[in-house]
Amino acid sequence: MNQAEVIAQLQTIFDGVFLEPVVLTPAISAQDVPEWDSLTHISLMVAVEKAFGVRFRVGEVENTKNVGEFAELILKRKQEP
Amino acid sequence: MDLANLKSLLLNGRPEFWPQLTALTGQARDFEELFLLSSWRKKAEARKLSPPVPPGPPLKLAILGGYSLYPLHELVEHLCAMQGTPVEVWLGDYDNYVAEIMDEGGGLYAFGPQVVLLLPAESRCKYSGRLADPRAVQQAEAAQTAAAVQELARTVNARTGAEILLTNFRLPARHDLGAYRARTLGADGTFRQWVNLEMGLNAPACVRICDVAFLAGRIGGLHAADPRGWFETKQPGSPALLFELAREVAHLIAGLKRAPKKVLVLDLDNTLWGGVVADDGLEGIELGDTSPRGEAFKAFQKYIASLKQRGVLLAVCSKNDHVTAVEPFEKHPEMVLRLSDIVSFKANWEPKSENLRRMAAELNLGLDSFVFVDDNPAEIEIVRQFAPEVTTILLGPDPAEYVGQLQDCRLFEPGNITAEDAERTDQYRAEAGRKALETTVTDMGAYLESLAMEGTFSEFTAVDAPRLSQLINKSNQFNLTTRRRSEAEVLAVMNDPSFIGYSMRLKDRFGDHGLIAIVIGEKAGDTLKIDTWLMSCRVLKRQVEEAVLGELARLARGRCCQRLEGVYLPTAKNEMVRDFYGRMGFALTAETETRREYELKLAAFQPVPTQIKITRHAYEPS
Repeated sequence: MNQAEVIAQLQTIFDGVFLEPVVLTPAISAQDVPEWDSLTHISLMVAVEKAFGVRFRVGEVENTKNVGEFAELILKRKQEP
Repeated sequence: MDLANLKSLLLNGRPEFWPQLTALTGQARDFEELFLLSSWRKKAEARKLSPPVPPGPPLKLAILGGYSLYPLHELVEHLCAMQGTPVEVWLGDYDNYVAEIMDEGGGLYAFGPQVVLLLPAESRCKYSGRLADPRAVQQAEAAQTAAAVQELARTVNARTGAEILLTNFRLPARHDLGAYRARTLGADGTFRQWVNLEMGLNAPACVRICDVAFLAGRIGGLHAADPRGWFETKQPGSPALLFELAREVAHLIAGLKRAPKKVLVLDLDNTLWGGVVADDGLEGIELGDTSPRGEAFKAFQKYIASLKQRGVLLAVCSKNDHVTAVEPFEKHPEMVLRLSDIVSFKANWEPKSENLRRMAAELNLGLDSFVFVDDNPAEIEIVRQFAPEVTTILLGPDPAEYVGQLQDCRLFEPGNITAEDAERTDQYRAEAGRKALETTVTDMGAYLESLAMEGTFSEFTAVDAPRLSQLINKSNQFNLTTRRRSEAEVLAVMNDPSFIGYSMRLKDRFGDHGLIAIVIGEKAGDTLKIDTWLMSCRVLKRQVEEAVLGELARLARGRCCQRLEGVYLPTAKNEMVRDFYGRMGFALTAETETRREYELKLAAFQPVPTQIKITRHAYEPS
């Protein structure tokens, strides 16, 4: 799996949660999407952990600045045994 | 209907969105799903897709505590809106609850809550000393911790009149301390348990305990904990726990307005017993300790009987002829429920919805206080359609789960305590004092008397045959001859006039022991030969032996016998009754390696008085 594939899968998860369609790019972040508030964020994180079968460590998600970095984090956690 | 369809209803601004949202909320089984539905409800409101008009103004709910109350409050708000008790929420700041409650001029009191959900901080529920400190010191600190929380609850209540929902403390689920954990109140687990008990048992009347310790235990302690969620956003537990907690809070809020149900209406076949009594007959239905299925049905009846004790009215509604339907209640020895337990008995061929309406009229109660239980989906459907006020419970496929299903339906939970309850508690306390006295009496006679034992003797009956045969074939220790008999052989004994065969059942104030003794005797001239004498070891030292012998002597005399003849046949397992006949006053007449023979002359025999009250004798009309 590479970053583009992760973002493609993220796109389907986001489509399920957001009402207004959002096209995900590596550079996009929560600030760019009005619907991406803290409420939606919780839904997204729970859905992402479930869909990718990963568990982020404490503080990690907060430190990602955009979707690209978030996808890299998913890849890193997925590569763990 | 699924989430994608719901989303399109929302995007297209369709009013069907609301009933579908309600339905999916009822089915939601995890945090993720419920949370998504909750966020869509908010979006629908923001898009001016107006919800149905609520029944009244929203209830003012303040949520405060030692945690971040976000997103818990979203779930609570959503569930309350969907169950028709909408709330307007005021949220306290993270861990600011003590100040919020103390500050009479603050936002909490300006809001004027009708209900307050208070989640005291786990971090303040910790013993300050050492594990090995004296127990009294640890106990005092636990009581003090609970009292401090109760004091906060009392203060808010005094200033606002609000009902208080108070969460207790989740127990740790990690292997800290090992076996030593149980030996001190200073450990987190035991300390919190003690605080939880103090909080609940001493709660003022305005407080309802929201039992987080129970909820966490139900889903599993490890599953309920979420250290990451605590460090990142100060969550009170995992998303799974938030889901359970929000549902509990919504349930408690609904309970503030809704009376518990009053009447439990029961189907019969495959609900109270296994099988169909009209087809299988009284002997053929599955009920009682002969089979695992029979035990499960009996356990279900016992639970229903306990509901009756709590004040729930019991009724029967069955598609059956009346005579057939009442027969098990009158004649089956393993029935727990009897006709006297049933306030209304409808066994006929009318639709069940009609019967329920008639019952409601007869009992002068609203149909909305009725709960109807059936294993048949078609009957449930008829009631849902034609008596929709009735709450229905469709029993699952496995009777082992019936009790749990009824326990989890949450329809018969007692409300909060009343002054009357408190008074009754005092009476019970006095009573408990008397009982405690009794049980401290070391005298065996007084102990037996306090048990309030009641025994019944019955000649062998066809209905009992499976149980008799089962006990005959499995008893090893208290069994004088260890002669095994099939069900057919038991029936043969029953039908042979030269034999007597009887059994004894025993109950006491702690419960029903069921069938506990069996004797078979064969008349030969003026002698009654004891073919079989066996007993369940559960009731040893309870004077059952004496009562059984008294009955045997009575029956033998009634058949003009002068003597009883007993024999002990030793096996690897029945050593305990080697001297049994000797102890009972029989004389040893012959002894070899493989048998001991005894006799008892009836002319000189006086039955020993016992503390067991005999309410029925064998071979006599009951």
